[in-house]
Amino acid sequence: MNRRAINGAVLGALLLAGFVCVWHLQERVDRERTKLQLESDELTLRSPTVMKRLSLEYAPLLGAVYWTRAVQYFGRKHQAHDTNLEQLWPLLDIATTLDPNLTVAYHFGATFLSDAPPRGAGQPDIAVVLLERGIQADPDHWRFYQDLGNVYYFDKKDYLNASKAFEMGSRLPGSQVFMKIMAAKIAAEGESLETSYTLWLDVFQTTTDKQVRKNAEVHLRIVKMQLDLRALNQIADLYERQTKRRAASIKDLADAGLLSGQPVDPERFPYVLGLLGRAEPNPKSPLRDEWMKEKK
Amino acid sequence: MRNVQTVAANTFREAVRDRVLYNLVFFALMMIGAAILVGQVSIGIERDVIVSLGLSAISVIGIFIAIFLGVALVSKEMDKRTLYALLAKPVKRWEFLLGKFVGLVMTLTVNAAAMATGLYIALWSVNRAWQASDIHILTAVYLILLKLAIIVALALLFSCFTTPFLAILFTAGMYVAGLLAGDLRTVHGVELDPGTLQWMRGISYVLPNFENFNVMGAVVHGRGVPAAFVWQATLYALLYTAIVLAGAVIVFSRRNLK
Repeated sequence: MNRRAINGAVLGALLLAGFVCVWHLQERVDRERTKLQLESDELTLRSPTVMKRLSLEYAPLLGAVYWTRAVQYFGRKHQAHDTNLEQLWPLLDIATTLDPNLTVAYHFGATFLSDAPPRGAGQPDIAVVLLERGIQADPDHWRFYQDLGNVYYFDKKDYLNASKAFEMGSRLPGSQVFMKIMAAKIAAEGESLETSYTLWLDVFQTTTDKQVRKNAEVHLRIVKMQLDLRALNQIADLYERQTKRRAASIKDLADAGLLSGQPVDPERFPYVLGLLGRAEPNPKSPLRDEWMKEKK
Repeated sequence: MRNVQTVAANTFREAVRDRVLYNLVFFALMMIGAAILVGQVSIGIERDVIVSLGLSAISVIGIFIAIFLGVALVSKEMDKRTLYALLAKPVKRWEFLLGKFVGLVMTLTVNAAAMATGLYIALWSVNRAWQASDIHILTAVYLILLKLAIIVALALLFSCFTTPFLAILFTAGMYVAGLLAGDLRTVHGVELDPGTLQWMRGISYVLPNFENFNVMGAVVHGRGVPAAFVWQATLYALLYTAIVLAGAVIVFSRRNLK
């Protein structure tokens, strides 16, 4: 081996050792940062107007970057079970100011904002502001009214405004018939499982995003289970009226001829009757856990 | 016009020899990376990102080439003293300048066409289908080319009377100012006297309004650009380029090349 090759090898080894040191050092710094609870996603520039000016003619690209940041921020917080989502609105604000036609940011951003913690930021009022901005940018996009109606209906429990939003959306070209049904149903009866099922079914059938579709599927199963439980409780009530005692198990209902067999949930787990004779999901069913999470 | 053609063809050849088109490799890698990554880190904006990233890259890379090569068009010939040999032949100064301009615009057109092809390939790899609105991307690329033509003309003008470094600064400054030109007419929130406002209004019309060529926001979301807008932008670019080139020819003709 000549001197030049030796020098090269030593230099290469030194470089490698140097990068290994940098790697370890960075890990230490990251650990310290976690201890300090520093917000690595701190927004230096919070003014959407300034951002728009600075982006020159590349605002749509920067808008997409900020939307991606919002998604990453939300996902990271969700994964860490951190309910402090104070940066979410500024990120969405900047993304939609940079690109007012970024439909996806209004649609999913409103969901992120309106969902109650730990699923979302629990800020339905800001979600309404975001969606109204979307409606201003694209008044013919009926889906914004659907989202607005959902926020009023599920998160604000404001049935009057929810009904209004669905009704306004139903008048736009291309809107689907369920918008009218929703407007009518909500106005007439308030919260109902059937309505919830209709909404989730629409999301399931229309979304092209795999994750959203999966989420809608889980919700559809939960709502189906809730509908089954409601029906089982009605049967148990009938049993009580007929026999003057509460049924102890599902088998009692079947033996009385009120059920044709053992009903199962969408995950194929049999329903059970609890201590008070009320229908409950099977403790082993994964849907039960999902349902409990929803209830929280 | 034969002289203009010869200078233009040589300018294009020189740019290719200088490996200017190597930027296409960078562009291709960036588009492949974006096509793979975006779907995994974001929601519902795969197409938007591919289109906005592609068009932004065509614009940014084009601007870099237009400014740096545009400034070097004249200064390099002077530094190498090849300009003197050329002007000793029956080539007029305006023919030389116009030939240089056309040559660089040709280079930028080839570059943008190759990038647009890359952008369409990336779009296909993400969507696996074409949408009717994809055609509007070509309109955006065409308008970017018009913008680049004005920038090349400005770079030529500045390089005719100042140092390359200052010419680069001036051209880049004009580009940024040109993007904000429209705002000078609609200033809000500040108390200004009518005289100043008139001045600002006047300046806003003198500056090249590069917002006239910015349709990225519409194209990214699949919206078309009205034909009237494209025609007007084309006329604006032709007129503005002609004015700037005329200015460059006047300055260059009077320049003492000794």
